[in-house]
Amino acid sequence: MQDFLQAYSWVNMRFLLNGLWITIVVSVVSIAFSFVIGSILGTIRYMKIKYVSEIVGFIIDLIRNLPLLLIIFFTYFALPKVGIHFNVMISTIVAMTIFESAMLAEIVRSGIKAVPTGQLEGARANGLSFYQALWYILLPQAYKKMIPPIVSQFVSLIKDTSLATIIMLPEVTFRAQTIYAQKPAQIIPMFLMLAILYFILNFTISRVGTYIDRRMAS
Amino acid sequence: MSMIEFKDVEKYYGDFHALHDINLEVEAGETVVLLGPSGSGKSTLIRTINGLESIEGGQLIVNNQDLANPKTDLNRLRKDVGMVFQHFNLYDNKTILENIMIAPRLVLKRDEAENKETAMGLLERVGLTDQANKYPSQLSGGQKQRVAIARSLAMKPKALLFDEPTSALDPEMVNGVLKIMREIAQDSSMTMLVVTHEMGFAKQVADRVIFMADGKILEDAPTAKFFEHPEEERARQFLSQIVH
Repeated sequence: MQDFLQAYSWVNMRFLLNGLWITIVVSVVSIAFSFVIGSILGTIRYMKIKYVSEIVGFIIDLIRNLPLLLIIFFTYFALPKVGIHFNVMISTIVAMTIFESAMLAEIVRSGIKAVPTGQLEGARANGLSFYQALWYILLPQAYKKMIPPIVSQFVSLIKDTSLATIIMLPEVTFRAQTIYAQKPAQIIPMFLMLAILYFILNFTISRVGTYIDRRMAS
Repeated sequence: MSMIEFKDVEKYYGDFHALHDINLEVEAGETVVLLGPSGSGKSTLIRTINGLESIEGGQLIVNNQDLANPKTDLNRLRKDVGMVFQHFNLYDNKTILENIMIAPRLVLKRDEAENKETAMGLLERVGLTDQANKYPSQLSGGQKQRVAIARSLAMKPKALLFDEPTSALDPEMVNGVLKIMREIAQDSSMTMLVVTHEMGFAKQVADRVIFMADGKILEDAPTAKFFEHPEEERARQFLSQIVH
């Protein structure tokens, strides 16, 4: 019992929370990049530009069908072999961005496709160019519908940052391991704490997402 | 001067021959109604005029622009040729006022104050001033169609295409839309092409009736003549089924 309570000492908690901060920073930066890149790739794939859309589509499908861990290994262990060196944090961000951009691209593409064809036809007949129709009519409607899948994708992203434990990114899961590696009796309290921290973070994000979705719907 | 000119136009959907040897001339200012059974190619024909459907053969000149030529700037053509759809196709993410103002702003670069004045004027004309700040989903079908007409008129087009504008409306909504269309038809400079099943409207407003079946134009006659003495057997059958 004493070990259990000692696990939550001030020193340990501060150590964990600093790790949680790294989790958050890596997630937010990856989310920001992948949102932009995913939107562009998804739109290009939707547009069916000869060759370009097919190549982009192939890359998206390729990445979506690889394990994220393999992409993390690639950016951390393989890229240095060809002379590109990233530190652990940048490696994780690059890997997460590559993977999540592909996931988001598919959400964006199907989101645009889900907008009724009459919207595009109405806009074109009204004199708008394709890009004007896309920017002012299709994308705003598509993003509104995409809020729930995008939010759940971001929640998976946050959970997946724990994979970077393997390349020793000192995020929250890695730090919990560091603590119980010294005191095996603290394994259960550490796992419990991790569960609580991830839950609070992700549940808050889902709730904010639901709130935005409702606001937009009304 | 002719506003729209089809010469031997052909259109296919895969193996399906949707438009067959279409020859048709519509003068500027004319009001023409297209009649025919469903699947006869009326909607396809009207949709080729603003390039929503491509043509596979022949020549189609609209407002002096050649639609058979892939280099023709369709955006430029569509500034002068508006379209009203069966299902309205209003922008769901924009207010009624924005629905009307967006194309003049983006395409014609109309001054914002003037744009708003024009839009409000048009809303008044279609009797929907009080709906300006609502969204399409808050309007009835008839109201949506009146907004769609106002949206087309805001571009100050030379020609307007109506693709079954009242077919998706509840019966009590139809007259409000037809009334506005009648008023537009009275403007002698506006060219109008209307696909419809509203015979009363056709008789009253059309200068000419085009009767289509199986992707072909079977009859092209002045309105009175068409309704009183249709030449084609198919047209007679069609009229006997539809006119009560």
